[in-house]
Amino acid sequence: MFWQDKQVRIRFVVLIITFLIITIIVKVFYIEVFQYKKLNSLASDLWSRNLPITADRGKILDRNGKILADNITTTSLYLIPNQIKEKEKVTQELASILNVSYEEMKEHVFKKTSLERVHPEGRQLSFEIADKINALNYDGVYLLKESKRYYPYKNLMAQTLGFVGIDNQGLSGLELKYNDYLTGTNGSIKYYSDAKGNKLPVSEEYKEAVSGLDLTLTIDLDLQQAVERELDNVVSKYSPEAALAIAMDPQSGELLAISSRPNYNPNSYQTTSLEILNRNLPIWMTYEPGSTMKITTLAASLNEGVVNLFEDNFYDKGSIEVDGAHLHCWKRGGHGQETYLQVVENSCNPGFVSLGLKLGKDRLFSYIKNYGFGEKTGIDLIGEENGIIFDLDKIGNVELATTAFGQGISVTPIQQVRAVSASINGGTLYRPYILKNISDSTTKQIVLENSSEIIRQVITKETSDMVRFALESVVSNGTGRNAYIENYRVGGKTGTAQKVNNGRYMVGNYIVSFIGFMPADNPSIVVYVAIDNPKGVTQYGGTVAAPVAKAILESYINIKKLPPASDLMPKVYNWNDIKYQVLPDVVGKSLEEAKKILKGYTLEYSGQGNKIIHQSPSAGLYVEDNSTVKLMLSN
Amino acid sequence: MKKIKDNILLITTILLCLFGITMIYSSSYVWSIYKFNNPYKYLISQAIFFIVGLVLMFILKKIDYHLYEKHANKILLVCIILLILVLIPGVGKIRNGSRSWFGFGPFGIQPSEFSKIGLIIFVSKYLSKNNKDIKDIKKGIFPILSIIIFFFFLIMLEPDFGQGMVIVLSLLLIIFVSGTKLSFFIKCFILGLLCIIGLIIVAPYRMARIVSYLNPWTDPLGSGFQIIQSLYAIGPSGLLGSGLGNSIQKHFYLPEPQTDFIFAIISEEFGFLGILLITSMFMIIFYKSIKISLSSSDLFSKYLVFGLSSQIIIQATLNLAVVVGLIPVTGVTLPFISYGGSSLLVSLMSIGIILGIEKSNKKTDF
Repeated sequence: MFWQDKQVRIRFVVLIITFLIITIIVKVFYIEVFQYKKLNSLASDLWSRNLPITADRGKILDRNGKILADNITTTSLYLIPNQIKEKEKVTQELASILNVSYEEMKEHVFKKTSLERVHPEGRQLSFEIADKINALNYDGVYLLKESKRYYPYKNLMAQTLGFVGIDNQGLSGLELKYNDYLTGTNGSIKYYSDAKGNKLPVSEEYKEAVSGLDLTLTIDLDLQQAVERELDNVVSKYSPEAALAIAMDPQSGELLAISSRPNYNPNSYQTTSLEILNRNLPIWMTYEPGSTMKITTLAASLNEGVVNLFEDNFYDKGSIEVDGAHLHCWKRGGHGQETYLQVVENSCNPGFVSLGLKLGKDRLFSYIKNYGFGEKTGIDLIGEENGIIFDLDKIGNVELATTAFGQGISVTPIQQVRAVSASINGGTLYRPYILKNISDSTTKQIVLENSSEIIRQVITKETSDMVRFALESVVSNGTGRNAYIENYRVGGKTGTAQKVNNGRYMVGNYIVSFIGFMPADNPSIVVYVAIDNPKGVTQYGGTVAAPVAKAILESYINIKKLPPASDLMPKVYNWNDIKYQVLPDVVGKSLEEAKKILKGYTLEYSGQGNKIIHQSPSAGLYVEDNSTVKLMLSN
Repeated sequence: MKKIKDNILLITTILLCLFGITMIYSSSYVWSIYKFNNPYKYLISQAIFFIVGLVLMFILKKIDYHLYEKHANKILLVCIILLILVLIPGVGKIRNGSRSWFGFGPFGIQPSEFSKIGLIIFVSKYLSKNNKDIKDIKKGIFPILSIIIFFFFLIMLEPDFGQGMVIVLSLLLIIFVSGTKLSFFIKCFILGLLCIIGLIIVAPYRMARIVSYLNPWTDPLGSGFQIIQSLYAIGPSGLLGSGLGNSIQKHFYLPEPQTDFIFAIISEEFGFLGILLITSMFMIIFYKSIKISLSSSDLFSKYLVFGLSSQIIIQATLNLAVVVGLIPVTGVTLPFISYGGSSLLVSLMSIGIILGIEKSNKKTDF
C-alpha cells in the first residue's frame, strides 16, 4: 500500500515541516508589514524618552494685527530619576532652591518613572531660580523652555479673550472656544535609552514644536481701549453693579469692541470669583431693555405703514389705559399733543403703547422674532443667553402694550445691538461675529476666513431710512441729546429699564442704557452702553449712558479720522445747553471786516498785516459761542 | 566545486554555528557586562563548546553506525541513570526553575539534551528489529511507547516541558515513518490533547502562557512580557534590520536575549532577509539529511538519520513558532544558534552521526 511505504511517509513529514516553516515566515512577514505601525510606535515609546518642548500658543490679534494675547518664554524643571546619581544630595539642593520641604522634593526625585515633571513647584521658574539650578549641573536634572500665555493689555476684554491653565489649555472665552486652533503641537528632544534608563548611543531626534494658529479678531484695539477707559470712568464715577459696552459694525456684524465690568486680569485670574470669570455680560446678561426696545416697535410700525411720523398725532396725558391697566409715561403729566416723530424724540411711553395696539400682537411679535430676540445670535463666543419673550398664546393687550415700550421682555445686549443694526443698515439682520480669520503664525497664510453672514431681511430700506432719521432727531432734539457730537451725524436711543427682583420692579434701581450709531446717513458703527444701578446720579439713560456712548463715538472719530459731515441735523438747544453756531468764512477779508463778522468770538492773531489768509477752526464747522478763533494775517 | 557540493550539509552547519556565535556576542554583550563585567563571557563559553562540538562531530563522522545499534541498550541505560541523577538535589542544579543541569565549574551539561540522541538510537533499533510487528499496536508499538512516555515523565520531573515535547514529537515521527496505522496517531493526538489539559490543571502557570500567547497584552508585565518584547524586536526591523550590533531590545528589554529569543534579535538586526537566510539554512540541513535517510538501505540508519534531523528541525520550528507568537512560550532553544553548550554539542553530534551514515551509504554504493 502507498501509505505503508516508509519513503513516502518520510517525504510526507518533509512536506509538513516545510509547510510549518513557511507559516512561520508568513507570520514574520505579517508582523513586519501589517503590525509594523503599531509595534513600531509601541517599541519607540518603550525605547525613547521624550524631553518635551512646549509649543507656543497661537496669538490673538486685533483687526490691525496688534497683539492681544501673546506668549513669554519661561523655564520648567524636569527630572529623569534613573539618571540622577546622588539622589539625596540632589533632593536636598533642589528643595532648598525651590523652597519646598525635603519630603516633597523626594517624591519627585525618587519616583519610579522615566520622566518626572516637577509640578507645580518647578513650573515656570523665574530666571534667578533657573540659573541656580543650572549652575548645579547634575545628571538627570533638566531645565526645559516652556511657553507661557501673556496678556499685554491685562484686563482689556478679559471675559471675551478668556484665559489659559498652567498647561496652556484654554479655559474660557476665545481661548476655550478656539482652543483647538490655538493649541500648537509640542515638540521634543527624543533620546533612546535601555530598559534601565541609561542613554543609548543612538542619535537624538529633535522634533520642533509647531506653534498654534493665530486668531485675528474683528476687534479694533484702539477703540477697545477707548471703551475700557470709558467703562473705568463709569466705575469710578458711579460705582455701578455692572457696566458693559459693545461696538459693532452694523453693515457686517463685525464686533469692534466688547467689554464689561467687573472684570479681571487674565494673567492672574486665580483670585477672581467664578462668576466674574465666566460671565461675559454683553452676551450673557438678560434684562428688560426699556426704551431702546422702542426702536423695534417704531421699525415695525413704519414697515407695516400704521403710522406717519410727521402727520399723525398723539395726545399724551401722562398715562394710557389698556384693559383697565394704567400705563404711565416716564414724564409726569405727559407730553401733551405731539407728532409721532415727537413721540419717538420724547420716548413717550403711551405713544408707543398706541403704536403697539395699532400693530396688534401678531405683527409686533413677528417683528420681535424676526429681529432675533428670544434666540441666541450665534456669535462665536461662549456663554450666550437666549433671553425671554412672551409666549404668543399668553399675550393680552397689556402684555402687548408693555412690550411695545420695552417691558416684560428679556433680552441680551448683543441681541439689541444686532436688532438696532438691522433697523438702521437698510434692514438686514446679520450674525454678529468676532473672529476675522485664523492664520499660520509663521507663513501668515490664512487657514480659515470668517465672513459676514446675513440671517434675513427684517424691514425695507425705506423703513430703515426713516428709522435712522427718527433716531438722529432723538439725538438732535430729544432724549439722546447728551450724545450729540458737533459736526457729526449721530443717531441713537436712550433706555432706562427697571430691574425685576422676586417678580417686582425694584425702586431706584435701574439699568440705564444708550444705543447710538454714526454717521447717521451711512452708519459704520453702533455703540451700546448699559450701566447697572449707577450711584449718585439721576438714573436716566440720557444722563448717564449717553455721554459714555458719545465719548466712545468721539474716540471712533479720532481713530478713523472721520471727516465732519456736510449736511447736519442741527441740535435744538435747551436753556442750559452750550450753544453752537456755524463759523462764518473770513478768509480773504480785511481785518476790520473779520472783526465785525466774528463779533462775540475771542480772536487770536498771528503774523503781520491787514488781510486774513487762514482761519482755525475752518469755516462751516459748528463751534461754541464765544470760543476762540485763530486768524493768520498777511499783507 | 564538487567538494563544496558534496559537503553542503557540513558547510551549512558550520556557517550556521559561526553565525550563531556572532549573534551570541551581539545579543549578549550588554547582559554579559551587566552580570559578569565582561562582554565576552557568553561568547567565549559558546566558542569553547563549538570547538568541542566540532571535534565530537568529526569523531562521530568516522564511527561506524552499527556500533550505536550494538550498544543502544547501554546508551539508553546511561541516559536513564543521568536523568535520575540530575533530579537529586545537590547533584543536579537548578537553572531558570528547572533542576536539569550538571554543573562543571562554569559549564553546565543537560542530560535531557543527550538523552535525545540515546532515545533516537534506541527507538531506531527497536523499530528496525521489530519491523514485522509494527502493524500490531499492542505487540509492536506499546513497548516502545512506554519507554518514550517514561522518558517524558523523567524530563517532566525537572521539569522541562519544551525538551519533553521535542523528544516525544520526534520519536512519534519515527514511529509514523515506520509504517504504523494512521488510526493510532489519531488516538495519540487525542491522548496528547488530554495530557496537555492534564498538565495545565497540574500547573496553572502553563495556562497563563497559553493566554499570553493568545493575547500577550492581557498581562504585558507577566506572562505576556517575553512575547511582547520579542514582537517589539521583530516588528520594527523591516527588510534589512538595524544592522549587526544595533539591536535596542537586547539592552535589558528582552531578558537573556542570547537564549530562547535570539531569533528576535537576529530579526531586529538583520530584518526579514536575515530571517529568510536562517530558515533557509535550517531547511538545507533538513533536506540534505532527509536525502541521506531516503538513500539509506538498512532501516536502522534510515530511522536514525530521519530521527536526528527531524529532532533538530522540530526544535527549530518550535523555537521560531514561539518567538513569532504562533504557539505559547515552551522554553525551547534554537539549535546551533541559541546560547547553550549541551544543545550545541548534541546538535553537532547529531550532524556527525548523520555524516558518518552518509559516508557508509556512499561506500555501499560503490
